[in-house]
Amino acid sequence: MSTFRIGMAALGLILILLLALPLLNMVTGTDPAVLRATLADHEVSASILLTMRCALWATLAGLLLGIPLAYLLARGSFAGKSILQGLVDLPIMIPHTAMGIALLMVYGRKFPVGGFFAKLGLSFVSTEAGISLAMAYVSMPYLINAARDGFLAVDPRLEKVARTLGASPGQVFSRVSLPLCRQGIVSGAIMMWARGISEFGAVIILAYHPMVAPVLIWERFESYGLTYARPVAVLLILICLVLFAGLRWLATRGQES
Amino acid sequence: MLRLENISLRIGGFCLESINLHIRQGEYRVILGPTGAGKTILLETIAGLNRPQQGTISLSGKNITAIAPEKRHFGMVYQDYALFPHLSVFHNIAFSLQIQGTEKKIIRQKVGRMAEFFRISHLLKRLPQNLSGGECQRVALARALVADPAMLLLDEPLSALDRLTRDRLQVELQRVHRQLGITVFHITHDLDEAFFLADRMAVMQDGRIVQQGTPREIARRPKTEFVAKLMGLKNFLPARITTEGLIKAQGLGTLNPDILQTIPQEAGDYLVSFPDQAVEIAPAQDDKLYCWQGMARITEMCRGRDRVDFKLALPDNTIIFTACSQRETDRFPCSPVPGMEIEIGIMKKGLHLLAAK
Repeated sequence: MSTFRIGMAALGLILILLLALPLLNMVTGTDPAVLRATLADHEVSASILLTMRCALWATLAGLLLGIPLAYLLARGSFAGKSILQGLVDLPIMIPHTAMGIALLMVYGRKFPVGGFFAKLGLSFVSTEAGISLAMAYVSMPYLINAARDGFLAVDPRLEKVARTLGASPGQVFSRVSLPLCRQGIVSGAIMMWARGISEFGAVIILAYHPMVAPVLIWERFESYGLTYARPVAVLLILICLVLFAGLRWLATRGQES
Repeated sequence: MLRLENISLRIGGFCLESINLHIRQGEYRVILGPTGAGKTILLETIAGLNRPQQGTISLSGKNITAIAPEKRHFGMVYQDYALFPHLSVFHNIAFSLQIQGTEKKIIRQKVGRMAEFFRISHLLKRLPQNLSGGECQRVALARALVADPAMLLLDEPLSALDRLTRDRLQVELQRVHRQLGITVFHITHDLDEAFFLADRMAVMQDGRIVQQGTPREIARRPKTEFVAKLMGLKNFLPARITTEGLIKAQGLGTLNPDILQTIPQEAGDYLVSFPDQAVEIAPAQDDKLYCWQGMARITEMCRGRDRVDFKLALPDNTIIFTACSQRETDRFPCSPVPGMEIEIGIMKKGLHLLAAK
């Protein structure tokens, strides 16, 4: 192996250690019996399932609304495109508690949009819908950007040829662009789901209850201390690790096949 | 069949300017031009992928300028073939038929027939990334032709191939054109390809068509220095036509206008051009054949695989170019080297007068 590669591997290893050390320490330092007991705790399992479910709703909404926008950002040429791109990236940059307050001031029952939905029977404050909304706002950029990059990687001539072969713009999208961009979309969706699960700041402002796992961890830490918060955190880390590793593997296998 | 009238279009910083073309039914039309001349933009405009800002495109008398590409019914092949990488060869070829909602049984029949025509039946289950360049080209042609298009549009389809494959596929394109009788619009920067395939061709420069005609006509009588250079001519000598009608060319002295195929009417500045074959080394002793005879000095020479290129200086240091085969140089009294003086003759035949810039 060349010196260059050894140097690169050494630097990479330092970063992996920095990333893995706190997680490994937390996982290995927890008694498996305590973990089993925590999993049996109804409040914990319900909270983890709620987190997964809300992140899934957010991701599905992201797929429905984010992919068309990603396609426009990749293929469109229009005034204000860079401003629009900046707007998409905004949730990555601003503090999520600030995002939560901004959401509350739009979707709260006392505000026009929130009031309108409340009349339809849909409330976003302290509801599963509110959690999903907060998760969607903060994690949408991951899906949109991954899908946009995926669309950009599709050779525009493939789309042009498809048009000359009789396909309408909609057929070109569904039969050429979308299948070729699938990998980017799947990666983006996994990232969005993951980011949704880990969301705390925006969720706690808009919907403290029902409690998602990050809020439960914080609540136990605040009320009972580290001993009670740690098993829930370890459990969430382990579940996420297994799920994301599995999803990544499935996505990679899909691409190879 | 296809008529482009006064087509103008601006894309970014590039313009197509007043393009007028008439392509006849069954014709093999080649557009020849260097990179950046606007050939692909023109092709995509014909395909309907660009909308002209001015002018009309009509197909068999019907105005199709505003018709969407999917309704024009043209087959198109891009330079790198643009095969759908996620679809097998079968599904690539079947794409247009599936879009039309053709019955599965008929799709199988048509794809099978097309695959047989292009001798690619054994490739139908493969993905495009597992094909060679030549195979990709056949698949792209089959895909473009399977739905019996009104016209085949080819965007430099041979330029990504090695010489051997290109020669083979040139013959294949000729076979497709002859056997299917389809009208072909082919753009290229390759002169040999254009001469081999074209019934008629048009030369494009900076978004404009600068000359049209048969390859032979254009090669014999290029209208501008640009076209002449594109036709492979290297000899351009500044010349002036006097009010008495005499031609005074640099390096060649006064020439009789009768030796030219076309005699210009107006006095002024011109260029005398001639192909390198018009320069004969060790010419025959027949004055009638030549417009100029004398000694020239070899300033540079370049030996190729089967020919030798010479850069020669005339007595007044005017530079001209010629070439001869290796076998011809073997017949020289002694082996040519730079600095050597040799006798040459410039043949009257092939001399051509061009407007100076």
